[in-house]
Amino acid sequence: MIEKSKEKQYREMFFAEAYEAHEELDKLFTVLEKNPEDKGSIESIFRITHTVKGNAMALGLDPIGELCHTLEEMFTYIKDHDMKLDKEFFGLIFRANDKFGELIDTLKKNGEATYKGLVAKLELYLDKHFRTLESNNVNSEPPNSSTNNESSQELEPSDTEPDNESESNQPKINFSDQVQIPVRKLDGLLNLVGELIIEKDTIIARDQNRNSNMYKRLNRITSDMQYAVMDIRLVQVGLLFNKFHRIARDVAEAENKQVNLQLEGTEIEIDRNILKIISDSLVHLVRNAISHGIENPEERVGLGKPQIGTVTLNACNEKDIVLIEIKDDGKGIDPEAIRNKALERGMISEEYASTLSDKEVIQLIFESGFSNADQVTEISGRGVGMDVVKKATESIGGQVNIETVLGEGTTFTLSLPSSMAVKGALLFEQDSQEFAVPLSFTEAVISIRPKEIHKVNKGLMADYLGQTMLIVFLKDLFEMEGLDSFHDNGSLHKTFDSLKANDENINVIIVNYNGRYMGLAVDKLLQQKEIVEKPLTQPLDKVDLFSGATILGNGMVCLVLNIASVIEKLFSERRSVQLSQSMMN
Amino acid sequence: MEDKLESSEQQHELTIDDVKRSAVEEGPQSEMIGSSLQLIIFRLGGEEYALPIDQVKEIVITPGIAKVPQTPDYIKGVANIRGTIIAIMDLEEKFGLKKKKGDQLKNHNYTLVIESDNHKVGILVKQVPLTLTVKSAEIDTSSSVMQYSSLEDECIEGIVKSEERLIILINIQRMISAENLNLLVN
Repeated sequence: MIEKSKEKQYREMFFAEAYEAHEELDKLFTVLEKNPEDKGSIESIFRITHTVKGNAMALGLDPIGELCHTLEEMFTYIKDHDMKLDKEFFGLIFRANDKFGELIDTLKKNGEATYKGLVAKLELYLDKHFRTLESNNVNSEPPNSSTNNESSQELEPSDTEPDNESESNQPKINFSDQVQIPVRKLDGLLNLVGELIIEKDTIIARDQNRNSNMYKRLNRITSDMQYAVMDIRLVQVGLLFNKFHRIARDVAEAENKQVNLQLEGTEIEIDRNILKIISDSLVHLVRNAISHGIENPEERVGLGKPQIGTVTLNACNEKDIVLIEIKDDGKGIDPEAIRNKALERGMISEEYASTLSDKEVIQLIFESGFSNADQVTEISGRGVGMDVVKKATESIGGQVNIETVLGEGTTFTLSLPSSMAVKGALLFEQDSQEFAVPLSFTEAVISIRPKEIHKVNKGLMADYLGQTMLIVFLKDLFEMEGLDSFHDNGSLHKTFDSLKANDENINVIIVNYNGRYMGLAVDKLLQQKEIVEKPLTQPLDKVDLFSGATILGNGMVCLVLNIASVIEKLFSERRSVQLSQSMMN
Repeated sequence: MEDKLESSEQQHELTIDDVKRSAVEEGPQSEMIGSSLQLIIFRLGGEEYALPIDQVKEIVITPGIAKVPQTPDYIKGVANIRGTIIAIMDLEEKFGLKKKKGDQLKNHNYTLVIESDNHKVGILVKQVPLTLTVKSAEIDTSSSVMQYSSLEDECIEGIVKSEERLIILINIQRMISAENLNLLVN
């Protein structure tokens, strides 16, 4: 089923390209007719006919394939032998191109195509004017005469299709069924749809009869429209995956590895901008898989593995999420090696290292300090830039996971939103301003009494379902100069200190990232809403407290908290606090 | 040479085309084309500042601004301008020209929307800016001019001397990249 739809898409693409080729050929033939010496045109015509022939044959569209094959042969002669081009020749090739256009139309509708007559005429011309050249040189009479016979036999059907030919003498303009659109215009359209939705919400909110059928219809149309625009922006991941054949080959060559690249799930669709953002990360992961995952051929044979290593790029859907896997059957990652390296770099204390499970240790490769600065080879070491991969993925609300088995290989999984546009979010109020947390990071919403919160060291803790959990007052966070100020003494206690024990309950949003939980205390909880998140632009693109912003029904901007980076920072802070404590001991 | 665009009591939004059109209609500039430059002039803390007109996309009535915590004070926040979310900056605060703390946003009626290939920001101004066409020769870009200015020199492109006036030509692009660098370092 998938194979079928894929072939259908390939055919659609082929026909769109063929129309372009057809138009291009008309143009080039005209140029060539005016200036038969124009080498550039001859070269272009040869190239176009060659490509179209190849693609047509691959799709089983033999009529186009054969026609272009004959044209290609003609232009091979012209290219190599400076043939003189006469009027008869141009008459023929223009008719050939008309036929080409006709064939595109008929084959697209799966119609019955007649073309042999024209091909025969072209063959005849070839024999008479071009092939003589070689037969004179090589003096190979018999095969020549046999082609002659064949073509004269095939010539007959040409007489049975005169109607068709006269019809094709009528000038006809073909239009491709596809249009190319710059991404910039799509972004503009998405913006406009976003604005439309906001305006609509505002108008409906103002009206007394907001439940009228008219508004229901309006709601349905705008939401359909939004999804339609999002759908236009989807492209197949194959578009990116296919570029990796070359990359894999080059890296393998440079590293003296033997690698087979396998692509799976290339038909899965994802927003074009997301694909663009993760493309560098993918290059990085594939390079790493080859240069650090896959062993040398000799080593592999020694280990009883197939001599040629396999790197697989796989994409699949899971609800609204697209999973992209980069899998190698190489040596895997050794947690001990990572542990040692992290210690050596002073990223973690020995005490802390011993409390970490192997799984947690492997997560350390995503830390920015882990990068191996002394690595000089162009192809990076595992660990170099892994933090960049992680950041890029998280910037679009995705996550990276790693699974590795020593001696068997490593799999990186990027879980990405299939569309950048809409996501569920929880809105809340802080300092009389609205903010949002993506629902994908929210675990629960609770209300606790101030006396349930306790000061522990520099932070605040509370009990949630039998577990101690870090509590942070968002107000404190907002008053810091940057996320690095966590360690300033008392910076996380400020708001709590100003509370009285019998004050009202505190609203806490429990958020979760990579298995780490924390509670965010906020002023007021509002509603859940589907939002269109947009990234912040310069000079705010470096603010790591927020991942982006959205526009609310009242036209105001609402910032979206970057839970990933808050939890990251907070927990890495805890680690270094422990580190400094253990160093003092 | 100087064209008052709209009386400031009337609050109109202007696209830069409107501004350019009125500049063309009223400006006696035919003999100046070629080596001339059209500027948008606005006042900050008593002095006149200028930007090349092609950097200014439009002039809008300052929309509602959402504050962004953990950013420098002069970044007032973000606002929605025709569906695009842009940062709003107060250059008086950035350049240290604010007289007193209480001088708040209320007075900043207009926002200049500055656009280039890689960024889009809004700059708060009090009055509708004016246009002015100057000869390239009137712009002094020598470094000695910059030396005594209170601004960080990367923000200043040059000084325009037009008759009795002295106008500071600023380079927003460079200012933002410098700012980005600072944020990175922090």
